[in-house]
Amino acid sequence: MSPLDPRLQEALDGERDPGDLPLDLREAYTRLSVATQILKATPPVSVASRVMTEIRQGPPPVLNEGLAHRLLHWWLGRPRAVTVRLRPVWTLALAAGLATVLLVPWSSGNLTPGVAQGIAKFVGHFPGARSVEVVGSFNDWSRGALALNDDDGDGIWHADAVLPAGQHEYMFVVDGERWVPDPLAGRYVDDGFGAGQQNSLLIVRPASAQP
Amino acid sequence: MENRDEAPPGGVSGMVNDGAPDVEVVARILGGDGEAFGILIRRYEPGLLRFATRMLGNPDAAADAVAESLVRAYRHLAQCRDPGRLRSWLYRITGNRCRSHLARRHTNDISLSDAPPLSDGSDAWAVLERGEQVALVERALAALPAEKREAFVLKHVEGMSYEEMAQVTGARIPTLKMRVHRAREALLAALEEVVR
Repeated sequence: MSPLDPRLQEALDGERDPGDLPLDLREAYTRLSVATQILKATPPVSVASRVMTEIRQGPPPVLNEGLAHRLLHWWLGRPRAVTVRLRPVWTLALAAGLATVLLVPWSSGNLTPGVAQGIAKFVGHFPGARSVEVVGSFNDWSRGALALNDDDGDGIWHADAVLPAGQHEYMFVVDGERWVPDPLAGRYVDDGFGAGQQNSLLIVRPASAQP
Repeated sequence: MENRDEAPPGGVSGMVNDGAPDVEVVARILGGDGEAFGILIRRYEPGLLRFATRMLGNPDAAADAVAESLVRAYRHLAQCRDPGRLRSWLYRITGNRCRSHLARRHTNDISLSDAPPLSDGSDAWAVLERGEQVALVERALAALPAEKREAFVLKHVEGMSYEEMAQVTGARIPTLKMRVHRAREALLAALEEVVR
């Protein structure tokens, strides 16, 4: 196999008029063009019915807004939390901010996990953000289900949620459009979509296992 | 581009000729209108099937890969970070399914038993019957390593830019250009060898 003439590569890349190629290169160009046209034939099959049947049997890809709000109210309406999620400190300033936040009880007070459940505390430093929410494997990556709060406007956003004990993947969604991993998560996994993006990893211990 | 307005056999009811942009269709689905996913199937199924068939060399395996990919895409649609680039996202998921399928075969290459048989190759390319040309091209493509095959198909069959190919594959643009160049060389060598 010999390297292709650069003029042929240029013609195949659309950077040169193939009519200007010498005869031998024009024949090679034609041969590859015919091959490409052959490969463009669309298979005479469809999986549309099969796919639609399958997705009709499963859950929708996102919780609708009303259900999400009801779930959030249910979470916030339960009695007090008993577990705390610890993360490595990112910066000294953030450490000070987190210490302040952790020392002052916030709205997580009424969460009570059931059997094999725990409470996750989500904390992120997003100064200037208008909104921050968490999406993850625990809510089927549904937008609008779990919002973080920054009531005092210090840029530190937080929320608590009762989650099944075990491992969960998640991301923060900032201002409704920017998906970012949790810089404090400490553990990350590939998101499985092949572009090198990573999800944050959260391990929730059952509340019953806490001292 | 794919034939967006063609109804696939066994198509989806009530979704014909809906020209809404992908972003609007995704919003409808995430708002609870799951049937709107049929619009996206109509738009992208032909290209995804073609891509998977060229990657796997087997129409049945390709149909399975595309069906699994579309269901996975629906389930994780809220995780699509840029619905304006939905096509790239769908091709990425399908490409991953194809790679998984190839990995289960313990090889990245299409089995030669899946590729069409060749004629004796005694005739010149120009006088080969169409069916022989098809068999020759499909077999030459099947002989390429999976990464080069993927790059060639995305570039020349699906008509993607290198930027979009990078979104689909996760590979860098210079790497993709090199794969396309090498695939062209290998394909042309294979075609010339047979018709010589």
